[in-house]
Amino acid sequence: MNAFDYWSISRGALATVILSLASIALGVPLGLGLALIRWAKVPLLNRFVIGYVSLIRSCPAVTLTLLIFFALPQFGISLDPTPAAILALTISTAAFNCEVWRSALVNFPREQYDAALSFAMPRALRFRRIVLPQIWRASLPGLVNEMTLQIKSTPAVAVIGIVEITRAALRVGARTYDPLPPFIFALVLYGLIVYVLIKTQRVIERRQPVERRA
Amino acid sequence: MNFSGDLPLRADNAPLSIDDNTAPVVLQLNGISKSFGSNHVLRDVSLKVHQGETVCLLGPSGCGKSTLLRCINWLEVPDGGTVHVSNQRMGVRDGSAHKMTDAELARSRARIGMVFQHFALWPHLSVLHNVMEAPIHVLKRPRDEVRAEAESLLNRVGLADKINAFPSRLSGGQKQRVGIARALAMKPDVLLFDEPTSALDPELVGEVLGVMRGLAEEGATMVIVTHEMEFARQVASRIVFMDAGEVIRNRTSGAVLRRAANAAGTAVSRALPGTSRSASGVMKTAPHDRGAAACLIQRVPPIARAPCRPPA
Amino acid sequence: MGDFLIVWQQRGDVLEGLAGTLGLLVVSAIASLVLGALLTPALMSRRAAVARLATLYVDAMRCAPFLLFVYLIYFALPSAGIRMSNWWSGAIALILYNTAYMAELLRGAWRELPSSMIESGRAYGFSGFTLLRRIILPPVFTSAMPMIGNQVVQIVKDSAFLTIIAVTELTHQMNGIQATYFIPFAAFITAIALYWAICLVIESMTGLLSKFAEERRA
Repeated sequence: MNAFDYWSISRGALATVILSLASIALGVPLGLGLALIRWAKVPLLNRFVIGYVSLIRSCPAVTLTLLIFFALPQFGISLDPTPAAILALTISTAAFNCEVWRSALVNFPREQYDAALSFAMPRALRFRRIVLPQIWRASLPGLVNEMTLQIKSTPAVAVIGIVEITRAALRVGARTYDPLPPFIFALVLYGLIVYVLIKTQRVIERRQPVERRA
Repeated sequence: MNFSGDLPLRADNAPLSIDDNTAPVVLQLNGISKSFGSNHVLRDVSLKVHQGETVCLLGPSGCGKSTLLRCINWLEVPDGGTVHVSNQRMGVRDGSAHKMTDAELARSRARIGMVFQHFALWPHLSVLHNVMEAPIHVLKRPRDEVRAEAESLLNRVGLADKINAFPSRLSGGQKQRVGIARALAMKPDVLLFDEPTSALDPELVGEVLGVMRGLAEEGATMVIVTHEMEFARQVASRIVFMDAGEVIRNRTSGAVLRRAANAAGTAVSRALPGTSRSASGVMKTAPHDRGAAACLIQRVPPIARAPCRPPA
Repeated sequence: MGDFLIVWQQRGDVLEGLAGTLGLLVVSAIASLVLGALLTPALMSRRAAVARLATLYVDAMRCAPFLLFVYLIYFALPSAGIRMSNWWSGAIALILYNTAYMAELLRGAWRELPSSMIESGRAYGFSGFTLLRRIILPPVFTSAMPMIGNQVVQIVKDSAFLTIIAVTELTHQMNGIQATYFIPFAAFITAIALYWAICLVIESMTGLLSKFAEERRA
């Protein structure tokens, strides 16, 4: 493996990181929105969210990616590979994040919420100042765990032509007829990305320790 | 298992001493010491248990009585000393200095029955299968034979209607009775009880003590760690007091003498230490008399009673 | 709607794909559970060398994306002289990958067991393999049941990656159909619906087994 090979696999890493960041940035808030719909028991949407989460959690990343890239043009929406990949990954991660947020919401102490109600705080304020600051901290481990799983499912987008780490490593291996070194390098890159993610989690946890229950 | 256990009376009415027990020795502990880090839990403890005896270990919390019990079946490995069960050494191969393998240790444990403070039943098996499991898979006895015995044992401890229930559905007292039946099913040479009623609600203690009392009366060889003083007084043939890792008192309780006196057909006083009643020739030189009590204390080497002695 | 008719007409191919996926699922789930149950004692072994080797294997599988591992197996086996069908390469990859995950989740359940239960097993003369099989593993499995269910769902989803090495499974067949007849939406929606159905069956089986496990919990 020469320097160019290392560089091309590293370029794949760039694609992986961009796709992951984008889908995380979109999927985490989307998951929160879905969880809030379940928590507030909004009449029709509630059922829709239940169905959505159940469906998407059983849907393989590859199949979903293929659906979005190939099927949407039938309805007139033609996406480039990268936006299609981001959309597929976001839809997938939002479903899992919904469950993580929901578990934190369900375990949120009811009394604090009642206290906010009795002080006549309007709904948005209640949520923003009382609920959210606490549940994001409780959800953090689950969300980061989901992010690492997400990163490990990014190779699925190779089916629509995106050259991310795994596909890049495969191409180098196919050229040199020696698959092992590029795969090991790919493994190292994935490990690095996951390591950075987990380290960030630890730093955040240290800066914002979970407060004792009052 | 020999279920008839009458102690003979001495013809000359001399006070009975422990050394007079001619029944075979089932359990022999010599010089057991054990430390957990800097905590010397047991210091050179020795104990001899004859067949048919019910020995109660009493003492304050932390005095090492549970640890001593667990050294018997090698659940704790003593730092020093030897354990012989039915004349076979535990933990070390006879005649050599080598540790037993796991399989050898397992085989030697099959002769010892244990009842645990927190029941330790196997949750995935029904009551009947809990009792049957070890005889079938450790002793390799035929299933039908074991099943029949298990059903009769469970009947004896009063759980005939619960044989197909699972432990999660039983009360503490019921679970402990299953534990006792499970131990009996192995037909062990000695039964060990590790604070069998400490984890029970007070109203459930009686049903378990009742079963244990029955076993003692049938002559089972038992070593019981317990806080139930009244039970020990009534049922034990010998009470061993421990404190800070040492045996401090080891006396034949009135129960054995009462049983012997009953066999002779005489009425016996239920009073214990203090009063010296001359209800019969036997009782005149009863251990209640303080002078005679001295020769009933097991001859423990003086060095073992010295406090703060470093372990062997 | 005509699109779905075409899918129905090609149901032979679809069923072939479904059979491939289900076959991979059953073979991998059973094999990875059995091997995982054997690996867990190694993970918890007191012998440092054994524990470290087992942990290294588990950590490697948990770090690596599944597709990367599939490529590794797919290319490594021929160079080691083993020739097998793509389906079996995929199955081996699924088994080796998920053995690590099963071992890890069984280990978590093992550690949660009350220690007195295992101790009483030892006290009654159980040791070695008999202790593992009759005293330790049954409660481990009953308490790990929900997590095993999740992992089996994960196996179904990972099997779709095997389309990339042209294994005859559901996604691969559907991709072929949609490319031939230009019916991507119908084809992939059908595939997703079938995956959903499989996972719903897995979840309801897990629910039933959980009821069975409830009574037998420590």
